[in-house]
Amino acid sequence: MQRPWLTDRIVLSTLVILLLVVWVLSLRFGAIAISGSDILLSIRQHILQEESDLTGRIFFDIRFPRALECLVVGASLAMSGVLMQALFRNPIVEPGLIGTSSGAAFGASIYFVLGATLHFPPGEWGLPVAACTGGTVATLLVFVLSRNRQSGKSSVISLLLTGIAINALFLSGVGFSSYIARDPQARSITFWNLGTLSGASWSSVTVISITTILCALAALRHTRQLNALMMGEEEARLLGVDIRRLQWTVMGINVLLVAVATAFVGVISFVGLIVPHLLRMTRGSDNRFLLISSALLGAIVVTLADLVARLVLAPAELPIGVVLSLVGVPVFIVLLRRTQTYF
Amino acid sequence: MKRHLLPLFLLPLLLASCGRFGNKEAGTDHAERIVCIAKQYNEIIYALHAEQDLVAVDLSSTYPPAIKTLPTVGYHRALSAEGILSMKPTLIIHDNNVGPEAVMRQLTDLKIPMKVFDAKGEDLTGTQALISEMGAYFHREKQADSLNHKLEADMNKAIEARPKTLRATKVVIIHYGRASDVYLTLTKNSFGAKLIEWAGGEVPVGGDRGMMQLSAELIGHSDPDVILLTDFGYDRLGSPEQIKTLPGVAGTKAAKNGKIYRVEEHDMVYMGPRTGEIVMKLQQLIHQ
Repeated sequence: MQRPWLTDRIVLSTLVILLLVVWVLSLRFGAIAISGSDILLSIRQHILQEESDLTGRIFFDIRFPRALECLVVGASLAMSGVLMQALFRNPIVEPGLIGTSSGAAFGASIYFVLGATLHFPPGEWGLPVAACTGGTVATLLVFVLSRNRQSGKSSVISLLLTGIAINALFLSGVGFSSYIARDPQARSITFWNLGTLSGASWSSVTVISITTILCALAALRHTRQLNALMMGEEEARLLGVDIRRLQWTVMGINVLLVAVATAFVGVISFVGLIVPHLLRMTRGSDNRFLLISSALLGAIVVTLADLVARLVLAPAELPIGVVLSLVGVPVFIVLLRRTQTYF
Repeated sequence: MKRHLLPLFLLPLLLASCGRFGNKEAGTDHAERIVCIAKQYNEIIYALHAEQDLVAVDLSSTYPPAIKTLPTVGYHRALSAEGILSMKPTLIIHDNNVGPEAVMRQLTDLKIPMKVFDAKGEDLTGTQALISEMGAYFHREKQADSLNHKLEADMNKAIEARPKTLRATKVVIIHYGRASDVYLTLTKNSFGAKLIEWAGGEVPVGGDRGMMQLSAELIGHSDPDVILLTDFGYDRLGSPEQIKTLPGVAGTKAAKNGKIYRVEEHDMVYMGPRTGEIVMKLQQLIHQ
């Protein structure tokens, strides 16, 4: 149910305005009340390299990087959803379907169990590296195992099925790790699988931002080919699209987007599935529009969900995955029933 | 449709208003503002009557009952720096069983004073050392000495009163609450097993970890004389009659003789000033 008056420009401008509003709210509100003047003072003190008080440091070292991380993580996951749904020409595909999230979860669970058992001090980067490695290995496995022995090519269907199988394999690995883990480790695995942005730091924001921007630029170069692919593999081939190359590139971008974001914030599902859908309801399936608008809406959704996660049980905090599912699912179902738009 | 979805929208609000999450800080003046994220430490702080500067605790700290009126900063392995800092702490006390690592790094980077006590409190001597150390820290040395004397006296009394039978009573302790009738059970290696041993019983479940998930078959095979269920599982099932019907439990001596009892989880997982009293209570339970 598209509305002709709803142009790309209107949708994108609305999203930008919404994002700004939500982001300012995210900077302003949390377990600690930080006023607008405190925020400005803290930023000024950091620019002038002056000593700041505790509230200033909380804002600059915790709240600010967290609010930024919400933007880049949301954008990453939503863009990844667009890419995967376009590549598989299937609206139920989400970024985790080719094994990246489950692989990352397995890497993290191994880190939690072995890290404590072997008593090695892994340092700040131990968990992200373990999760990122797990995500990459799982996705590579999907790619290698889905290739046809004779032709050496992977069809979309075999990629999808292999993805489902590898997901099951790695999730059983997570289950096994939880089973053999001691109680605190098992709890850490559970909480990591529900996602949180509470550990955001300037270094994690920098890494995710660089990856997100580079991947977004790379993905934008392939939107025309993805649009062609939506007509079918043969049709796209006739239009000069190198399907195999496109698959490799898009999968590579997806692995980077999902593995890096997941490595720092844990598993955040649902964003990659619902955000592209919501936007498809407004302007159809042009992948260029979807990619840009999904990055914006993904950032809005994650920022809002994180804000709720911080405020609902303050001073305690809910995992963001719980908020996204509790609030996101009903909203999504209502919209889906009202519009009846699927792909 | 909207009617059906409304409860889903309201779920987060319900969650926020239930249990210990809704507690607001009482308007008391504090010389120091302490957030203590360790259940064993919290019980000792209350026993020392040093709780007046405590402004928030973690979710697992449930004893004494008065602690439940304090705001909670969440589960000790899923903390949030902002949540803790919103309590304006001048000191965070924890026992190193805290996380995530990134959040603890944030708090360290902000130079929020933190305290971990040296004594480990895993056995009688260690617990007495911990009580003394905490007593000295909070300037409650006299109170600490009296707690230590009482603990030692209670422990001696309990061990003396232990029945001198050839065969120790077999006791299985279950945290019930898991799906599919897989029972999370305390092993010989747990603190709970030590309590049972002091009370003149033995835990028949081996294992190098403190807890293990056991199938109904293994519970049945261990054939305990007594089954202790921690509060959550016992209350969920409602009555010993309900518990007796559980697979594995049904055929045991404990079920046949009606020896299934409720224990508080916080009594069974760490050692504290009340441990002697708890051992005596367990003695009465398992030998009655």
